[in-house]
Amino acid sequence: MEHHGGVTGKNIISLQNVSKTYISEHKTNEVVRDVSLDVQENEFVVLFGPGQCGKTTMINLIAGLQLPTEGKVIVDGKEVTAPGPDRGVVYQTTALFPFCTVMGNVEFGPKSQGMKKEERRKKAQYFIDLVGLTGFEKSFPNRLSGGMRQRVGIARAYANDPKVMLMDEPFGHLDAQTRYMMEEELEKIWEKEKRTVVFVTNNSEEAVYLADRIIILTNTPTHIKHEVRVDLPRPRQYSDPEFLKIRREIEEICDDTL
Amino acid sequence: MNEFAKEKRRQKIKFGIVSILSLCTFFGVWYLCSAVLHLKPDYVLPSPVQVVKAFITKLNTKAPDGATLGGHILASLKVALSGYFLGAIVGIPLGIAMAWFRKVDMFVTPLFDLIRPVPTIAWIPLMILWFGIGLGAKAAIIFVSAFVPCVINAYAGIKQTKPVNLWVAQTFGASRREMLFTVAIPTALPLIFTGLRISLGTAWMTLCAAEMLASNRGLGYMIQLNRTLARADLIVVAMLTIGVIGTIFTVGLDALEKKFVKGGRRR
Amino acid sequence: MKKKKFDLERTLYAVLAIGCFFLLWWFLTTFTAVKETTPGPVAVLKLLGESFFKPIGGKVITGHLLTSLRRVLVGFSVATLIGIILGIAMGTSRWAEAIIKPIFELLRPIPPIAWISLVILFFGIGETSKYILCGIGAFTNVTLNAYTGAQNVDPELIGCARMLGTSERDIFFRVILPSCTPQIFAGMQVALSTSWMAVLAAEMVGAQEGCGWMIQRGSDTLNITLVMVGMIVIGIVGMLLAALMRTIERRLCSWNIMEE
Repeated sequence: MEHHGGVTGKNIISLQNVSKTYISEHKTNEVVRDVSLDVQENEFVVLFGPGQCGKTTMINLIAGLQLPTEGKVIVDGKEVTAPGPDRGVVYQTTALFPFCTVMGNVEFGPKSQGMKKEERRKKAQYFIDLVGLTGFEKSFPNRLSGGMRQRVGIARAYANDPKVMLMDEPFGHLDAQTRYMMEEELEKIWEKEKRTVVFVTNNSEEAVYLADRIIILTNTPTHIKHEVRVDLPRPRQYSDPEFLKIRREIEEICDDTL
Repeated sequence: MNEFAKEKRRQKIKFGIVSILSLCTFFGVWYLCSAVLHLKPDYVLPSPVQVVKAFITKLNTKAPDGATLGGHILASLKVALSGYFLGAIVGIPLGIAMAWFRKVDMFVTPLFDLIRPVPTIAWIPLMILWFGIGLGAKAAIIFVSAFVPCVINAYAGIKQTKPVNLWVAQTFGASRREMLFTVAIPTALPLIFTGLRISLGTAWMTLCAAEMLASNRGLGYMIQLNRTLARADLIVVAMLTIGVIGTIFTVGLDALEKKFVKGGRRR
Repeated sequence: MKKKKFDLERTLYAVLAIGCFFLLWWFLTTFTAVKETTPGPVAVLKLLGESFFKPIGGKVITGHLLTSLRRVLVGFSVATLIGIILGIAMGTSRWAEAIIKPIFELLRPIPPIAWISLVILFFGIGETSKYILCGIGAFTNVTLNAYTGAQNVDPELIGCARMLGTSERDIFFRVILPSCTPQIFAGMQVALSTSWMAVLAAEMVGAQEGCGWMIQRGSDTLNITLVMVGMIVIGIVGMLLAALMRTIERRLCSWNIMEE
């Protein structure tokens, strides 16, 4: 690998027998059951599973937005107990701050860390350029298209220098055309700025296109059904027979779980 | 019941107690300032006990302002409701017509915009000079105050009908008249109710002002006259009565809205 | 927001409508019995012109206007500030909500105008009571809107800010506060017009100057022309105040205005 920082073999995320049960007034609902998973540094891992499984919950557990009922989540050697800037999240809804410009959104994290204005502007500008939004720094999110908003979301997560990027179906709301474009774009960005990525999707094509490793999840209560390594050279071709073979394989495994 | 539900209930009870304590503190401080410390003379700052006493005696005493509390309430309601219904009956159809017929819109909207910015209270002197200080003047003032929000909201409601829905109706062969009654008006209903709610609020407020300036009966008059008589206890009774009746109106309209508006309330 | 284009037909109809209105007014007040009670448009316009030079009860019309505006501005500003603080406190803290809400709900249904007598008994007939009445007029709406605004802040945005390592204090100032500005502004717009109404009522009941006093004096002296002049001026100023608020809103909340 030519790019700096390939997969190092060092574990950066580690889920140890993690279970999550929601307790509401009327019922208890077990969403994640006994999941153990290790993700190595700079690895691109895709969590792939049917519609209503606990994928988002798994992202939230790693993010620290929710705490596991049982088991432990460890990121970079420390147990996760709260949200924190070492993990960057890209949301399906983008969750951009509507009252901040593109620049304001991207520099939000660095500003929270108390970074000086000049420095954080420079940094934010770098990531805005990286995601291809040069010239839109002063636009408000309501003036941007869905794809552009998601680019801001990615830049915002990156600008905080997280060790781990968590992406929760980031392209789920986009139309097919934009989705292909964003997948390509994301891969380019990732090749340039390597990070550990945990990416959630229910689209098999997207999974095979992006992943080093695909973790196939079952319906709720979610646990790991199978895992598939994708060793195809990047950038991958959607129509490559090998590509289609892996795609069929994971779809079949996934169908069994229903 | 599981742990979560129990915890939730505990929280509810805890904050409920805080709320009750807060209200008690409010009345306690009031009582302390008036009855114990006498920060201001009684005729300016009555104690809660005095207010309650005044309320009870006022129920069947006509002194000092010429009517029992019930009499004042009746007088106020008569004025408020007659003006309010008139305003709604004229205002809502006018708003609908303005939004539905282009010509009416173009002709009436400029005139409406001409009178709209004048606060209803500013109409009081004019109405008094035109209609004297009887029921007519007050009803006319309330009419104006209810009329304006009714028109605005009915207009906005009809205007928010989606063209798609009208096209659908058209493909079913609906006439323009049918489209108005089956598509546009039901779409506008939630906003029409908003208009009714707003105008009830303004009507009730305007009524106070109108009765203060020109009346010899009614809750507003009670507030005004008792100031000259320095009977703050009766003023507070009147204020609270106005507040309670206003609340009853709002609750009643909400219930009515829930019954009539299908498909959820717009927020 | 719809772009307003110049529409010839619309303009013609508007001119026609307003022309008809004035013509009818003029006709009624010249040829029918209405002229006994109501002045014609010419008389009203003439007095309106004169009122800028000839004092009415000690002040020219601009003087009365400025007096009323000052009262509104003082009461409105103070009440808005208090309202925003209380409203956001209620919307973000269950303790504040439990303590403030019952008292607020107890007093809220009483219209600002109903307070006039009590406030005058308490503070006399001077400026303080006018400020307070304008304040009561503005307070309810601002508080209520700040409250619902703060309650409805998107929890995902707060989670997102936490994820980015934002401190709780920063979250308040950089997420919660900006999130509820549009709603607060909506409340302030209504509040300003209620304040404007409250000052008129207060001045009509007891004052020596101001717009409300002016029309009340017109009424007392059976001078309908003066009443109408007052109404015109009050209407125009009310309209300008609303326009001013809208301009400020468009500046501050441009991010919230959807473009087609």
